[in-house]
Amino acid sequence: MSSKLDATDLVLEYPGGERPVIDGESVTVAPGRVTALVGPNGSGKSTLLRGLADQLTPTAGEVLLDGRAIHRLGDRELARELGLLEQEPTAPDGLTVERLAYHGRYPHRGRFDPVDDDDVRAVERALSLAGVSHLRDRPLGDLSGGQRRLAWLAMALAQDPDVLLLDEPTTFLDLRHQLAVMAAIERRRDEAGTTVVLVLHDVEQAARYADEMIVLADGTVHAHGDPETVLTPEVLAAVFGVEARVESGTHGPRVVPLRPVN
Amino acid sequence: MPRPDGGVEDAYEPSAATRRFGWVDRDLLGVVFGGSAVVLVATTLQLSFGSYDITPVDAWRTLLNPAVLLDTAAWRAFLLGATVPDFATGTLVVWTIRLPRVLLAVLVGANLAVSGAILQAITRNELASPFVLGVSSGAGLAVLLTVVVFSGLLPFLPLFAAVGGGLAFLLVYAIAWQGGTSPVRLVLAGVIVSSVFGSVQTGLFLLIEDIGLVRSVIAWTTGSLVGGDWAAVRMMLPWTVLSLSLALLGARELDVLTLGERTASSLGMRVETVRFALSGVAVLAAAASVAAAGIVGFVGLVVPHIVRRLVGSDHRRLLVGCLFAGPALMAAADAGARLALSPAQVPVGIVTGLVGGPYFLYLMRKHGEFGGL
Repeated sequence: MSSKLDATDLVLEYPGGERPVIDGESVTVAPGRVTALVGPNGSGKSTLLRGLADQLTPTAGEVLLDGRAIHRLGDRELARELGLLEQEPTAPDGLTVERLAYHGRYPHRGRFDPVDDDDVRAVERALSLAGVSHLRDRPLGDLSGGQRRLAWLAMALAQDPDVLLLDEPTTFLDLRHQLAVMAAIERRRDEAGTTVVLVLHDVEQAARYADEMIVLADGTVHAHGDPETVLTPEVLAAVFGVEARVESGTHGPRVVPLRPVN
Repeated sequence: MPRPDGGVEDAYEPSAATRRFGWVDRDLLGVVFGGSAVVLVATTLQLSFGSYDITPVDAWRTLLNPAVLLDTAAWRAFLLGATVPDFATGTLVVWTIRLPRVLLAVLVGANLAVSGAILQAITRNELASPFVLGVSSGAGLAVLLTVVVFSGLLPFLPLFAAVGGGLAFLLVYAIAWQGGTSPVRLVLAGVIVSSVFGSVQTGLFLLIEDIGLVRSVIAWTTGSLVGGDWAAVRMMLPWTVLSLSLALLGARELDVLTLGERTASSLGMRVETVRFALSGVAVLAAAASVAAAGIVGFVGLVVPHIVRRLVGSDHRRLLVGCLFAGPALMAAADAGARLALSPAQVPVGIVTGLVGGPYFLYLMRKHGEFGGL
């Protein structure tokens, strides 16, 4: 059964910040589906994602994972069930793809346990899902930006979480690697029933791949639902400040931006 | 079954068992054997030459002499501090004067190299060294205070030095702490503490009237193995074994820390706890070497750097490499320090500095950019 993530009255702020980035929002993430967080720059997408992952302690409110408050779970216990891949993680250039993927097994291994067969299986599955098995012995420093992002995705998949949170996994990638990332995420959802939340920069990409969309504007949830109901000219005008036509296509709604709203 | 990457499912199926020793490879063995060979050569030089010359063959014959090797009374003297049994002069020179100095160089080299490797991982900065977190300034200040103010406590000098280094490290950590630390704040706090302590040190120097004492203090703050004996080896050995074992047990934590604190934290690591504990291990290793040899520069900086180039950044391999390369550099440098200008001896820290400085100059010229891990 897929895991459910619930945030209630969540207030998230950074130390020294003038006001909360997210001020008392409640969000329920649908289990076993891909949910895209979209919104203009500075609308609080990444902050919400970090709050959902317990990487930013809420000032008020709480996040429940299948009914359990996540801040009460042990760090490793939580990491076995919930993974977060940050936007642009960095690693030593000499690290190989396979070793990076094995680091995803960190929460599953006792501090002094050697690699066991479960670890090997999870890593092999993750490398294959991300399509980087053939790059396993290559150091990260030798790879293209897209290949490197897939290697990090393999690490997050090797962590084998029930809930996977991804911060802009496709930004700055060429088309081919964007498709590879999204295909891996969809296969993971279909095969393992993983609940996925991802921040996407590109609204149209979100509409095409996500089962649900959450539109954030200035730290508040403006709309939440499937792409067809969420993506309306009114929402695009109010949140993104563009006048746009929304057409329905075979891969979900298509957005044709026309001009900025004055 | 075909896979999206074009491979075949069963073509490569590593099991957990085959992976277990996969980390020992030719590069690492090269460092292990190369390092050991350098130590053996340096040992041969150190045992043979000096004011009492012995041929290398005789030196090794003396070292492998079963009459000493299998003598429990001798080992009780070396390791527990009992009286040394009556041996021939050559045996005494090799076993009680020259060998402990070599052993000390090996221990100091291993400690400094491992300490540097840990601190470079924690700060994610290749330019970090055991002394960047204030250890050297704290130890130096403690030494000067002992000499100038508490001269009655001179026999405890190494202990005070280690305590001073540890306290300075805690001070650095406290300054860097703002609801958590960061590599940058740690390094900056280290620089601040070092410069303040450095000023106080310089001031204290002016208060010493005995020039001979000034010389010995300078030798100490440069790092020197002159007079290294079994007592120093005994003092250092337990701390070395403790800190190096802890370091090796923490290898995986170090690997994950180099992925950045956010990734480490998402993987379920308590980053602050682990970072503080590992810094503590690094300071312990550095303090043990400070207590035995003073402040030997560059070893903790250069050795992890060279080993990383040879075996990569996997910390199990890196630390094991450092356990062999550190002693190699230190033993070779001390052979140079003791024998190059014989009968005069220079502090070994001067030799490591003369080797380490140009190495970094070479790196700077060859690779426009380095520093980030």
